[in-house]
Amino acid sequence: MVVTLAFAVTAVAVAWGAYAAWLAWRDRLVDDAALILALLVEAGLLVLAVVAALRFRRIDPHSEGATFLAYALSLPVVPPMALFVAIKEKTRWAMVVGVVAAVTVAVMAARIAQIWNLYAR
Amino acid sequence: MPAELPTPDASTPATPAPASARAAQPAATGTGPGRLIVAVYAVLALAATGRSVLQITEYFARAPLAYVLSAVAAVIYLLATYALATARRALALTACSIELAGVLVVGLASYAARDAFPDKTVWSHFGSGYGYVPLVLPVVGLWWLRHTAASGGQSTGTRAG
Repeated sequence: MVVTLAFAVTAVAVAWGAYAAWLAWRDRLVDDAALILALLVEAGLLVLAVVAALRFRRIDPHSEGATFLAYALSLPVVPPMALFVAIKEKTRWAMVVGVVAAVTVAVMAARIAQIWNLYAR
Repeated sequence: MPAELPTPDASTPATPAPASARAAQPAATGTGPGRLIVAVYAVLALAATGRSVLQITEYFARAPLAYVLSAVAAVIYLLATYALATARRALALTACSIELAGVLVVGLASYAARDAFPDKTVWSHFGSGYGYVPLVLPVVGLWWLRHTAASGGQSTGTRAG
């Protein structure tokens, strides 16, 4: 459950990041598709946060339990921040921030899956 | 090439700030490319804060020094994010300087005194656990402060005391 969800989030985040990069490259501002991808990522992250909070005790406390839970709980903040910038900033840097946000989510979600695979009992 | 701030784009209806507000003071630090720097700071602040809170509440006794440093780093990243986003130059300069000193000192110490750092912090091993972003970011932050101060009409340095 954790791993499937985390990898699903990673996949959508990669798509979001690639699309944001394309928008930045074309010097465009946020559009519906970017918004929908970001919201999909956000929905996945919220579910992941709940699942991770319920199950993180299964991770060996002498390993990376803190990282696992901290990542899962703080990641849902990232897409709203990126969308805030996308609305406020009217240059291509808005979408560059979107790329950074998407890469952050993708990497941290993949790390969540990795920690679960390594240390969950 | 180093574009001015904000980048004038023909394709986007960009009106970031009234001209009157921009003329009197150095350029804002939180718009245009500055958004990217603020965003990366925010991500680092987020990662450092979350990790630090859990380290301290869950198993503080294991590595008190490392965990206290994690917390200090987290607070400084939060301050730097806030200061850069709102163009508080003195605060941003202070925060970025402390970060640079912190990542260098703790980076060295984590190699020299391994026993004190049984668990990773943001700054240990020069931030290798975070792709060396903690090492690069304060340098970029300081450069950006200097760059925006210069392009905002001030000849040398920043207004920071």
